[in-house]
Amino acid sequence: MPAFTEEPLKERIEPMLFDYCFDCHDGAKPKAGLDLEGLPFNPEDPVNFALWQQVHDRVHHHEMPPKEKDQPTDKERQALLSYLKTDLLAADREAIEKHGRVQGRRLTRIEYEHTVHDLLGIRIPLANQLPADESDHEFDKVADGQQLSHFHLNQYLQAADLALDEAFGRLEHGDASWKRSYAPKKLATEGTKGNYRGPEERDGKAWVWAMRLQFVGRMIGTHVPESGWYRITIKDVVGVNPGPDGAVWASLRTGACRSDEPMMYPVASIEATTEPRDHSYLAWIRKGHVLELRPNEGTNKTTNKGLKNGKIFYKGQNHRKGGIPGIGFGPITLERVYPSGSRADLAKLLLPGVPLKGDQPAVRDPKSALPRLLRQFAERAFRRPVTDKQLAPYLQLARAKLDESKHFATALRAGYQGILCSPRFLTFVESPGPLDDHALAARLSYFLWSSLPDEELRQLADRGRLRETKVLHDQVERMLADPKSERFIRNFTDQWLNLSEIDFTSPDPRRFGSFDPVVQDSMVLETRAFFREMLDENLGVKNFIRSDFAFLNTRLQTHYGMKDAKVIPGKGLQKVAVKPQQRNGLVTQGSILKVTADGSVTSPVLRGVWIGERLLGLHIPPPPPNVGSIEPDIRGATSIRDQLKKHRSEASCASCHVKIDPQGFALESFDPTGQWRSHYGRNAKSAKVDPSGITPDGRKFDNIQGWKSIYESQSNLLGRAFAGHLLTYATGASVRFSDRESIAKILSRTKKNGHGVRSLVHAIVLSEPFQHK
Amino acid sequence: MKSFHIHTGTSLPRRTFLRGAGAMMSLPLLEAMTPAFSTPARTPQRFVGVSLYLGLHGPNFVPKGAGRNYTPSRYLRPLQDIRNDFTVVSGSSHPGVVGGHTAESSIFSACPNQRGATTRNTISLDQLMAKHFGHETRFPSLVLNTGTEKSPSYTENGAMIPAINDPKKLFASLFVDDSPAARKRQGELLQDGKSIMDIVGEEAKALEREVGHGDREKLDAWFTSVRELEQRLEINESWVERPKPKVGKPPRPADPNNAADVKRAFLDIALLALKTDSTRFLTLHCTTNGVRSLDGVEENYHGLSHHGRDEDKLEQLTIVEQAMVNAWGDFVRALKEHDQGGGRHLLDDTMVLLTSNLGNASSHDNKNLPVLFAGGNFEHGQHLAFDPKDNYPLPNLYLSALRSIGLQQQNFATSTGEMKGLVRTV
Repeated sequence: MPAFTEEPLKERIEPMLFDYCFDCHDGAKPKAGLDLEGLPFNPEDPVNFALWQQVHDRVHHHEMPPKEKDQPTDKERQALLSYLKTDLLAADREAIEKHGRVQGRRLTRIEYEHTVHDLLGIRIPLANQLPADESDHEFDKVADGQQLSHFHLNQYLQAADLALDEAFGRLEHGDASWKRSYAPKKLATEGTKGNYRGPEERDGKAWVWAMRLQFVGRMIGTHVPESGWYRITIKDVVGVNPGPDGAVWASLRTGACRSDEPMMYPVASIEATTEPRDHSYLAWIRKGHVLELRPNEGTNKTTNKGLKNGKIFYKGQNHRKGGIPGIGFGPITLERVYPSGSRADLAKLLLPGVPLKGDQPAVRDPKSALPRLLRQFAERAFRRPVTDKQLAPYLQLARAKLDESKHFATALRAGYQGILCSPRFLTFVESPGPLDDHALAARLSYFLWSSLPDEELRQLADRGRLRETKVLHDQVERMLADPKSERFIRNFTDQWLNLSEIDFTSPDPRRFGSFDPVVQDSMVLETRAFFREMLDENLGVKNFIRSDFAFLNTRLQTHYGMKDAKVIPGKGLQKVAVKPQQRNGLVTQGSILKVTADGSVTSPVLRGVWIGERLLGLHIPPPPPNVGSIEPDIRGATSIRDQLKKHRSEASCASCHVKIDPQGFALESFDPTGQWRSHYGRNAKSAKVDPSGITPDGRKFDNIQGWKSIYESQSNLLGRAFAGHLLTYATGASVRFSDRESIAKILSRTKKNGHGVRSLVHAIVLSEPFQHK
Repeated sequence: MKSFHIHTGTSLPRRTFLRGAGAMMSLPLLEAMTPAFSTPARTPQRFVGVSLYLGLHGPNFVPKGAGRNYTPSRYLRPLQDIRNDFTVVSGSSHPGVVGGHTAESSIFSACPNQRGATTRNTISLDQLMAKHFGHETRFPSLVLNTGTEKSPSYTENGAMIPAINDPKKLFASLFVDDSPAARKRQGELLQDGKSIMDIVGEEAKALEREVGHGDREKLDAWFTSVRELEQRLEINESWVERPKPKVGKPPRPADPNNAADVKRAFLDIALLALKTDSTRFLTLHCTTNGVRSLDGVEENYHGLSHHGRDEDKLEQLTIVEQAMVNAWGDFVRALKEHDQGGGRHLLDDTMVLLTSNLGNASSHDNKNLPVLFAGGNFEHGQHLAFDPKDNYPLPNLYLSALRSIGLQQQNFATSTGEMKGLVRTV
């Protein structure tokens, strides 16, 4: 609450508002729709709070009043800010104490999938059974953005049914075993009915050549009998006639490979060199789908020889001699596998303590086994101890089913299904104030594993040890060393950097013909590997801007035009040392440049906002409602830069565009596929890119290197932005006014090593917002 | 002592049940499942909302001249045979709806999404209609998308209804009967679902006591969702054993590289759904990016929409957009041809809207939305030309539509009254 002796905030600040703000923000048609005279101070209302917070921030950053208007003295500015800050902080803290920062957060569908997998010991796709999550402040974990409807509940019923079918089905029937080997001859002859698009058999190998035709390289004989996980092993893979990459890159995909069902599911990009290598992959393959393996580089020569009426024939053709890139391979083996563990592992999770009789579990006394098993399951699923009263409805459900069906497993399954649809499972049950040990364990495990706490975390919570700094530190280290931490890398980068939207636009093939699925795939792997490296090696946030290393494969090397980098063909993605002036850091990675562009053009505004918000932590309000956006004109008469110049001459536009445009301009040297460019068109006569600009604090730069030199030294700014995103992801609530102090503390804890990413993770876990509702 | 026996029921893919019977249902069934207002002896009223994710190029869309004597624009020229069956609206948009593509969520809800204006979406036009009039058909509403699972149809809680995006599945759920064994299993599972919902409702109540005030709004959503699903399951039970209408073979599959043909394929099924009275409220969001099968088109739709005034791109975009408008026109014609009996044609009782969240996709502008509005109980045949610089509120059209089907709404979203110049005949 505001200090009791003071008059209300509005009266205290009114004289200053009168002198410096009311000229514009007053009356019937105030600027930006903000009438400060008429706006009451009512911080309990989130919308009102946000407006006053914005007033505070824009005055604080000297964005308001605008430069050409009367400016308050420093003393006046400080006074206004201090009044505002005190009251906003007090109101925010009070709200958090009462309600917490995170209300009723629900599992995202990715978290749901991992959780059910870990709970039941299965690994079938489940996320696609649920409606897509909506994002708020870039992250789908944020509770405020989550909405619930009867659709969700219905899908939860279905998904639980599907998951339990799989688990109990495997318990009952055991695991299917299925294994097939296909010799090259078989791969090249089967399925010759209809339009043949398969490989050629030559010299004891199967060969697929670079052609533009759909489904080239499909192998009809490889269809699988059931949807499931398969180990795909391909022997002696070689590449001939490589293009500029020095290797032949092929994509391995699965699909029905029919024109009425054209959807293909990528498995991997395969780099084939003259040296034969075996490749092995784990993939979920849908019933009846087949393998397709084909050279797939945009930089490659392709052939249309041997094509007739959509059919390939090899007789009389010698593509190898013709210099056509091709991939050759020996036998392929497909084997059904269960990556989540054996039937016995499954029994341990579903029926702990139940002995096996033969290969069937035997329950002596169903009446007493039911409550024991349900309790054990519920305590894991609800992520905390369960009282008798809390267990009662599920037990009742199971008992009713037992009476009705006389089958123990049917009864148990019904109880489990109820538990999997419970709000105690689907949401996080947290009371206002500090999180109790079990809630803390869950927050930790959903932060780093996107799933429920394991046995060790659960026991630490039971014993009340999780508040100890040392214990927390050790647990974070243990969790990051666990393979499940890959889920964190993936989910976090998918959202923070929009990697999940890498295929949202497809580059115009006429203009960007060298772009291909291998490049796209490689870009994403590059960014994830880069982030993993920063986490593992605890590298400082300045590496987002500039680093002395990069992750490249031969395909990216070509795409980025980095001839001098030492990339070894056949080794896939590898860490290489790079010079400061070469492409390095995060901001100029292809994935970032692609997700910030649309398929045919780049916009310095979109990229500028994106980099500003995600990396520099600038708060950029959306354009005021009545400002028309700039209509791009690619005919060349006016460049977007010229249009922006005109735009920026208006004060209300300029106040934001000084923050947006600089990084957008600097990145204009990269086209929508992330390739370097000096001109907008294909030749030197087309419009030249001008990547120069001035940072908001007035520093000039000539190009992206100059821009990087300015920002690589601003670790505090980069660290604050990153810590904010990480905190949002870790807690499921966006950064609030009063969180800024926690972030300041996090930054001071991690200053020593330039805000190393791993140190930041540790500091977040120890922070107040992380440990409170 | 009986040895453990695992019984998992029959080997029927039981999960298909809810997908077939539940997930396709797209109605927030509230206690207000009965018509708010009953008009005796009136034929059932229908609404179809078609939305384009990339707008229509204004200069090709907006006709010259206002009123009944307007000169058709390029895109409207092929629609002149049904000129008197639709109204074209220009210079209108949804107040406070901004954000380029993100405005998709407000296409049918008209919910202002400007920063600070609201924290969540409000109910969409189709769902509000279905809430009051959707209980008489197997599908209270259908929410479709030609590509993704996203939809502009929202429940009262502000939750997006995931769209059906597979024409094969859509057709099967509407017109293909499940086997008797599968139907029996469905019945059992509906029962299980009901007992689980009982528990979920009780648990949400218990949690309200345990976690306190702050989560109340979230828990409210649980209460409504449980109630709605319970009603849904109840109604589904009455449909499980009833045979589905027979319509013969499914319509011709679409060419995935022709967004207009994909739209056609969905509208073909939509037409069958309306003819068989399987549903009365339907939205279709068109998000197919592939258009290269259209003669003279070499790029994808989204790329073309960012034409940057390049003449070559604009020419290709025109081909695509014309095809999209034509597909809508064909649908309207088909409704007009279908005699429901008694001399009334389906179009007489079916409102068909075509609109978008974008007025200019090249600049991501949400003003000056393209609007074509056909059928229902309105006097058509004119161009309602509003001010392109100071847009007229489009929610007014939605209010007119709601009132015309018998809902006495005071307003809808930011409406200021019924649509100016649009005369209702009922």
